[in-house]
Amino acid sequence: MPSWFIKGLFSPVKTTRFPKQPETAPGAVPGRPVATDFTSPEQAAHAAAQCPTGAIRAGHISADVNLNQCIYCQRCARTEPPMAWKADYTWARRLRANNLTPQPFRKSLHIRIVDTGSCDAVIQEIKQLSKPYYNMHKLGFFITPTPRHADVLMVTGPLTHHMRLALKKTYDAMPEPKWVIAVGGCALSGCVFSRGFTSAGTVLESLPVDVEVPGCPPPPMAILYGLMLLAGRVGEMPSAKPTIMEKA
Amino acid sequence: MNTPEIIFAAALAFCLAGALVSAWAPSQWAGRILAIFGTTAATLLLTGAAAVIVSHTSVSLTLWRLPILGRLRLDVDGISAFFMLALAMSFLPACLFSDGYMRRYIGHYDPRAFNIFFHLLLGVCIILLSAGDVITFLLSWRIMSALATFPITLEHRVNEHRRAGYLFLAMNEAGIITATFGLLWMAALAGGHIGFSALHAALVGTSPTVRWTLFLVIFFGFAVKAGLLPVSSWLPRAHPVAPANMSAILSGCLLNFGIYGIVRFDAVILPPISAGPGLLVLTVGSISALVGILYAAIDNDMKKMLAHSSTENLGIVTANIGMGMVFTAYHLPMLAAIAYVVAMYHMINHSAYKTLLFLGAGAVDQHAGTRHMNQLGGLIKRMPLIAALFLVGALAIAAIPPLNGFASEWLTLQTILRSEDFAPRFSRVVFGLCGAGLALTAALAVTCFVKAFAMSFLGKPRSTAAASAAKPARSAAAAMAFLAAACVVLGLGVTWMIPAINSAMRPLTHDLAAQALNPPFFNNATARHPLPAAFEKSFTQLGARIGAGVIPGRGLVVMHRGGSANPVVYAMSTFYMAGVLAIIIFVTWLGVRLLTRRRRVIVGEQWAGGLRRLSPDMTYSATGFSNPIRVIFKSIFAPAIRENSAVAVAGHFRTAITQERDDGYIVDRLFLRPLTATASLLSRALARLHRPAVVNAYAAWVLLALLLMLIINRIW
Amino acid sequence: MNLHSNSAVGSATNERKSLASLLPNVTLTEPANLAAATIAAANLPSVTAELVKDFAYRAATLVVRSYEKTFTLDYWFYSIDGSPWLRLRVELPEGIRELPSISEQAHAIDWHERYAEDLFGLTFTGHPKLGDFVLHEEWPEGANPMLSDFDASALLIDKEVDPQWQPEKILQTSGAFVMPIGPVYSDYAESAQFFLETVGEDVVRMIPRLHFKYRGIEKHAEGQAFDRAVLMAERFSGSSAVAHATALCQAAEMAVHVDVPPRAQAIRLVAAELERFRHHLAILSDICHSTGMIVPSADVDILEEDALRLSARWAGHRYLYGLICPGGVSRDFSAGEMAALQSGIEEFSRRADRLRRHLEITSSFLDRFEGVGVVPLANARKLGLVGPIARASAWATDLRIYRPYGFYGVAAGIGSPPLEAMESEGDGYARIRVLFSELFTATEWMRRAIKHLPDGPIHKALPDSDGEAIGYVEAPKGAAIHFLELSAGRVKRWQITSPSFVNWHGFHLAAENFAFQDFPIMMASFGLSIAESDR
Ligand code: SF4
Repeated sequence: MPSWFIKGLFSPVKTTRFPKQPETAPGAVPGRPVATDFTSPEQAAHAAAQCPTGAIRAGHISADVNLNQCIYCQRCARTEPPMAWKADYTWARRLRANNLTPQPFRKSLHIRIVDTGSCDAVIQEIKQLSKPYYNMHKLGFFITPTPRHADVLMVTGPLTHHMRLALKKTYDAMPEPKWVIAVGGCALSGCVFSRGFTSAGTVLESLPVDVEVPGCPPPPMAILYGLMLLAGRVGEMPSAKPTIMEKA
Repeated sequence: MNTPEIIFAAALAFCLAGALVSAWAPSQWAGRILAIFGTTAATLLLTGAAAVIVSHTSVSLTLWRLPILGRLRLDVDGISAFFMLALAMSFLPACLFSDGYMRRYIGHYDPRAFNIFFHLLLGVCIILLSAGDVITFLLSWRIMSALATFPITLEHRVNEHRRAGYLFLAMNEAGIITATFGLLWMAALAGGHIGFSALHAALVGTSPTVRWTLFLVIFFGFAVKAGLLPVSSWLPRAHPVAPANMSAILSGCLLNFGIYGIVRFDAVILPPISAGPGLLVLTVGSISALVGILYAAIDNDMKKMLAHSSTENLGIVTANIGMGMVFTAYHLPMLAAIAYVVAMYHMINHSAYKTLLFLGAGAVDQHAGTRHMNQLGGLIKRMPLIAALFLVGALAIAAIPPLNGFASEWLTLQTILRSEDFAPRFSRVVFGLCGAGLALTAALAVTCFVKAFAMSFLGKPRSTAAASAAKPARSAAAAMAFLAAACVVLGLGVTWMIPAINSAMRPLTHDLAAQALNPPFFNNATARHPLPAAFEKSFTQLGARIGAGVIPGRGLVVMHRGGSANPVVYAMSTFYMAGVLAIIIFVTWLGVRLLTRRRRVIVGEQWAGGLRRLSPDMTYSATGFSNPIRVIFKSIFAPAIRENSAVAVAGHFRTAITQERDDGYIVDRLFLRPLTATASLLSRALARLHRPAVVNAYAAWVLLALLLMLIINRIW
Repeated sequence: MNLHSNSAVGSATNERKSLASLLPNVTLTEPANLAAATIAAANLPSVTAELVKDFAYRAATLVVRSYEKTFTLDYWFYSIDGSPWLRLRVELPEGIRELPSISEQAHAIDWHERYAEDLFGLTFTGHPKLGDFVLHEEWPEGANPMLSDFDASALLIDKEVDPQWQPEKILQTSGAFVMPIGPVYSDYAESAQFFLETVGEDVVRMIPRLHFKYRGIEKHAEGQAFDRAVLMAERFSGSSAVAHATALCQAAEMAVHVDVPPRAQAIRLVAAELERFRHHLAILSDICHSTGMIVPSADVDILEEDALRLSARWAGHRYLYGLICPGGVSRDFSAGEMAALQSGIEEFSRRADRLRRHLEITSSFLDRFEGVGVVPLANARKLGLVGPIARASAWATDLRIYRPYGFYGVAAGIGSPPLEAMESEGDGYARIRVLFSELFTATEWMRRAIKHLPDGPIHKALPDSDGEAIGYVEAPKGAAIHFLELSAGRVKRWQITSPSFVNWHGFHLAAENFAFQDFPIMMASFGLSIAESDR
């Protein structure tokens, strides 16, 4: 019978030092494509043409990325000349500036997750948050199985036809005040899952989303950053705002 | 004729009048007639019995002299009066309840016949309890048994009902024959005396073996009526088939007659001189209690569940009587007094809440169309008053303070602990085991009645009938309210009940229990038996004297042992508990009110994981609630599970599984069935002897029998 | 050409005769190793029964294709002994939407038939349980999305649902009740519903109700350029992205007759085994969490995140998205990168081995899994289970070994091939042991591919031509079979048969008469994915 207790005691601390220090471990985040300056309009157009989802918009001699639509196919990184790729994770954005988390909630937010058709990778990445490397409990975020105890609704997936009722019921079952965080490109733009008979609109269009966390799947650090942003405990990074605004 | 006599005579007259009027009036009036005549008779009886108990008098009336057997007499002493009190307390609401209830039978069965027998039954019961001699007693007993069969089988066209009626009749007949044999033997031993008082005196010197045999015969004769193991097979069958008012009477008073017989003959007339009989009674009582509650806990038919629970409660009563007998045999009169008082107290408590619960079950059955808990649910919305009253009964029977069930069960368990005070190890072991059994019984009773109330009245209705249940008649609520009040009064008034029982049962208690259980100290009187000073002081500090001048007794009951130097005291006050409970409830309510004053309360849908609709099928069922008990006590229930796999499996597919589960009654399995099997085997063997071909053998048997009788006669 | 009906005695010619005697018009396609026959719908049950019984064929999938007014149904069979894939085709003429069910003969096809019933509006006579499968109660009547004339981009108007609606109940016993779970339940669970039928204490029967996540990708892909379908294949079930993308690409490559360069095949193998390694760690992590043992959970968790980070360092994405592309792989790796990957994996596998040895002597852990959720071999066979779950019940299914594809044939030939991890108890603990052994066999496959990594190009463009084929891989959860029909480089019909779909079907029969508190443990030890099943 091995002594798990002793093993536990002598295992080194793995948890990220975020937000005190940025997380820099290689491989923790896949990074993201960011706005890039090219030397010619052709190059910009070429870069934009690589993108299968139209996330890249070519400007005159530059191209910008709408991360909500990016599905991380990395084609723009593997073309010549490539889009610039930034290894950060602070790309979540706050959408409802007037719905800030009041002080008493900031250090203890309870989250109910609803999967409306995302792939299992997104769920895995969210699960990582409660595992040793990210340990969100340390930062005061907790997962609750019932929406009655939840402050935050974390939604993933393109909102399938069959999940609309369940999502609505979950949202309605939450007490006020409540916030919504949409996680993953699928919840924001549908990812590769098309609109139509299976999905009448994304989560972004169906619920008052407070914070959006793009990514396919968004790495745990990005989700953690999104949660901290929701709790008002980190500021929004200016670089998270696209320079070319998507149409209203 | 003094007042109680007139009252009793009037009660009997009303019974007779009720029966006559019923025979004449149209059947629509049946319920109303019962509510008028029956209720009046019961009220009179209640008054008369109370008068006898309070005034410490006894009423006696000589009927006539029989040529050989002697004088027949009616004799209402304290014991009779006390049983009459329970009888009246149960009959009164049952008759009142009939007003609305009997309507359900109009057009299907003849409620007039029911009415006649019901009235006559009450009358015979009164005579039975006031019988002062063996012959009157046995005669009225026999009539009572026969009369009771008719109301039970009111719905006589249902096969199952008829069978239950036959079983009731047959088993009770067997009990009567046994008891008759015992009582007549007793009279014979007493030199032909048949009066109860004379019997007692005449039997003082009989040999221990004869006493033992006599005791056994009488005990098992009456145990049939009390529904004790192993002769309780009729009980879970007769109760569910009878109309609710009849089931209430069956449980609330007819079972008590079994106890009456045991008390009257085994304890008063033939007081035990060795511990054996008492220990046997204690064991039978405890086992009945445990088995009764186990079956009650798993049964989903409200009335069957209540019937099993009657076995449990009568078991507790019997266990207390057993304890009293053991204590008497060990010459511990005070403890014996306590045990007998507790027995009687529990019995009257049981009459109160069991009648209440049966009437509640009847109201549910009548208005929700079923009494199967798996098909009920949510009735609290349809019949809130009935639900509240049923809850009082359920809390009382589950021994929740401050109600009456708690008071008597607390006393039972405390009394059992007193077995330390006498030496023999064997008895102590028996007491210990029985105590454990009774404690388990008390715990299971809570589960049982949580289920009964929750599954019937709370949650979602599990059938359309339950969802659209009609509002019960006012008479039903009135009858139940009377009993609920009785439960509360009997619980809070424990300090008044104990002296009353104590004096009513004087032949058994010798007036010792009241002093022991309600020390005068607490009543602020001059203490005749002063308690140790240190104890008095700390008790006063604890607040035991609060309200002493205002509320005498305050429901405070004390059990103490040890010497005056090191007293060990267990005390309980239902009155204080009620007070504290009220304060807790009020403070909680106030707190919640204050905290949520400025909050908006939003009532939402139940959270069911985003499921479209939480159907009643998705809520806990009664079977599900009690299944842990079924699983744990599997060896007792020995269930027969049949899975209909022919329907269930379509090739590889399992489309529908039908499972049927039969929890066989252990008494049938171990006692009744082997008995009937042996009997039929014997009769078949005898029948073979009757064949004409063996006339010689037949003649030989007859001769042999004659020879045997001669030999026996010789030896005797 | 090998046409063994089974690996038992008998010459090849005799066997061939027997298959031909059963199916007179059977034809063989050499390079695809495919036998095809068209039969009448009425013969389907008897032929299937014989195929399953005498030829040791297993039902793989049912591919329905809808044309204007007619339907073609392809029943695909495979075996693990080298006989060719077999395609039984049934053509339904105009006006006929009914054919006999074969799920009595080949029970593995049960859910496929229900799927086709819902999505194509076909009726399988003799099937005792149809309806309410993919499409739930609010789905409009008559909207069968896979029909050729159904417009995938149109929004649906919900049907009015009966306010008294309730799901079907199987246990017909007084007092039986249903514990509904989901679709929103637990902490991190994917959306699915389970109805636990019970009379208290033990759960008699568990009925899963899936497809809450039905995203219709097979329909949405129709008419799209093929490489769009690859993106979908990666993303509908991200935890098996490489496997599904590879299976789909293999189908396309076979359909348009393109040979993928060996180096690309080897890289695909490495990626697939890396994915398997990481996937199994995630399942083991769930298993440890289900028992509430914190330290072992943390240990596996750390290992899993390390594997994710290693994947991201190696290929730029934690779940290896974007690596597999039609005709090969999208990026090359230097020898240094490969070596870094290998040393990382070797270290992980040593750590995993240490963990395994510790867990194997932790009785409080084993107690929770031994004898829990047992799938006897007979059930595994009947239900056609695949992957680690089947192997834990001694049901051999590993396509890497029995039907080598891509670089596996080459890698297996180097020395003796890695053995299929097999156990026989079929309980939770057996599944855990299989998962652990597969960590080590995955390492071994990777080791071989990296050591013998061929040189050359990593990619060959696919022509925009027509064709149809089956592509299959041994995904982390078991056999993933993709059927693809291309028309001028665009998807005409795509059918995914995922291991989770097959195994969920098996799970609900394995989950009978169990204690309620074992349910999370059984779920964890099966380690199935809803996303992969619902597609
Ligand atoms: S990585 Fe994102 S931005 Fe770049 S091509 Fe792919 S989807 Fe477009």
